[in-house]
Amino acid sequence: MSKPAPDWLAAFVDSLPTRKWFQFLSNWVVVPYWHWRDPKPVLEGGPRPAPQPSENLQRMMNLVMPLRDPSPIGRARAAIVIAQNTDEIFAGLDNVGTVHNARFVLIGDYLCMLSVYDGDFSNYIRDFIVAIGSVFDAVMDLVVGGDALKPTARNVEKFIDWVHDHDLFQVPDFPTDLFALQDAAKGLGPDAPPHPLRSLSREMILQFVANPNVSLGGGYRAYPGKSAAQLRQNLGVGW
Amino acid sequence: MPDNATPSLAKRLVCALKIEGTLKEKRPVHAFGWGAKGEFLPSAVAKNYCRAFHFNLARRDDGSLVTYPVTLRFSNGSGEAKQRDSWSDVRGMAARFHDPQDDTRATDLIAMTLPEFFNATPEGFAAFAQAAKSAPCRAQTPWEKLRDMLHLIQPMPDPYPGQTRRPDEGAIRYADKDARAQLAVLQAATIGVPQSYLQASYHAVHTFRVTGFGGTNNVRFEWRPVDGVRPHDPDLTPEPGSPPVDPDDFLVPDLKNRLKNSAAGPHVRSRPMRFSLMMTIGETGDDFNDPSRPWPPRRKRVFMGMLTVNEACDTEKVSFNPGLLTDGVAASDDAILWTRIEAYRYSSEQRGGTPCPFAEGQ
Ligand code: HEM
Repeated sequence: MSKPAPDWLAAFVDSLPTRKWFQFLSNWVVVPYWHWRDPKPVLEGGPRPAPQPSENLQRMMNLVMPLRDPSPIGRARAAIVIAQNTDEIFAGLDNVGTVHNARFVLIGDYLCMLSVYDGDFSNYIRDFIVAIGSVFDAVMDLVVGGDALKPTARNVEKFIDWVHDHDLFQVPDFPTDLFALQDAAKGLGPDAPPHPLRSLSREMILQFVANPNVSLGGGYRAYPGKSAAQLRQNLGVGW
Repeated sequence: MPDNATPSLAKRLVCALKIEGTLKEKRPVHAFGWGAKGEFLPSAVAKNYCRAFHFNLARRDDGSLVTYPVTLRFSNGSGEAKQRDSWSDVRGMAARFHDPQDDTRATDLIAMTLPEFFNATPEGFAAFAQAAKSAPCRAQTPWEKLRDMLHLIQPMPDPYPGQTRRPDEGAIRYADKDARAQLAVLQAATIGVPQSYLQASYHAVHTFRVTGFGGTNNVRFEWRPVDGVRPHDPDLTPEPGSPPVDPDDFLVPDLKNRLKNSAAGPHVRSRPMRFSLMMTIGETGDDFNDPSRPWPPRRKRVFMGMLTVNEACDTEKVSFNPGLLTDGVAASDDAILWTRIEAYRYSSEQRGGTPCPFAEGQ
């Protein structure tokens, strides 16, 4: 039988994940090596299709758009554009009828539109363009790649695709489901052989190389399974 | 009863789960635990969904609300001979609701901290149980750990001091070949330890068919502690004045302390502890017969009532059974659920438990 490793060696190896130089080595050598060996496709953003009614209600959009000018001046411009368009936004909320809430957030070098809506994603964006296309046009002035989409009302399908591409990937609610999503993105079917369970940590790290910004899960709801229309009806504020 | 829920398989499972050298009078799994008494107050909406007696919000002649007495048992999942409260393990909460009007009527709800089960079929579970039998274990060598780290894999946790056997390696080997077991194996391996039996969420895992005024729904039940879920932190220094803690045996003393009402000391709350009973409604497209697959967290949840746990008591001889149902709650076609009905009855006989008031053929 081989001699057991000395205690100091065991303690040293156990401490590696907390050591700066090992973290550096992992981030700059180990992860790039695995990424080179096994690159992951970028996984699609937004909620995934499902037949159950509650999957189609209170869905999340996390639209993350790189700011053209992330300086304080550029940020102030973004703040003013949103503040100047509240009438348009309320006109959209009051008329589209499937939106629970929406907000704009500046974070890092991004302008984000975070919203909760009922029903199909494309229809949601299409309806919104009809109601508040002018807000989207103003937003497109602020973000990288926005010019090519203006006026959004005349580039509806292109705009929908662009929004979908900038909607964050939603990490599965159950972590082991990542295997199946990665397989599907590679064109493998559900009967593909299972992955070793312990490789999940590597698959997840590599997925974050492809999708660095994500939504962690599909969100948590206090009153799931209710549409904006039902809530308004029950609250007596009608539609 | 589904075809593959055969009684003989149930008996074989009980024998397979029982670890050699453990006491006959102990349960083969969930061997260590303790009981409590409580009362359940159904919510105002519960009876719309389920006509079962314990979901009927009613008033007595004096106008006070009827509560339903509940017998409980909290437990560690392991069936090993030695109790190890500070080792990571799935914990259990078995509840029996009694009808105060009719003492022959009762119904059980058995739940655990793991939100899903290891398999969807009894045969699959038998294969899993065989593969995941507690086996000799050792810490990985530093070289094995380093290799894992360089493969971006988290090394296996070292065994606890004094731990020579564990199911983890076998369970992982099984899950590498059966994708359906992966979620439960992953979550069980990292489930940890609650600070208190009264501060964990418990999942009944199976689908039941409940019938009320509004029709029949396929549902799953969960207990949510009102005081929140609190994992045990072994590095936390005990509060001044708190009694010394035995790391192998602190959950039952904690239960007794918290429910003792006064003499518990300043470090524990001296008041009854409560759990909300939440019911999640499944939708067409959800698998109603597969307990290895939790439903996504977006399903409608209904608050069915509040359990108040009042005092600790001995329920070691009590025999809970997931098939002890009552009018308004029926079993789904989940073959694991049906196998458990027979398995728990047989296990109770083997350990000399008090037979449960179980109705044949439910
Ligand atoms: C085929 C699958 C299963 C088998 C064969 C099995 C077997 C057993 C057995 C033999 C006992 C001891 C019963 C007694 O002696 O009274 C037991 C207890 C228990 N089981 Fe299971 N079990 C299974 C699935 C589950 C599931 C899915 C859950 C989660 C809801 C669960 C939770 C519990 C709990 C909480 C206890 C302790 C009950 C008490 O305190 O008396 N089991 N199980």
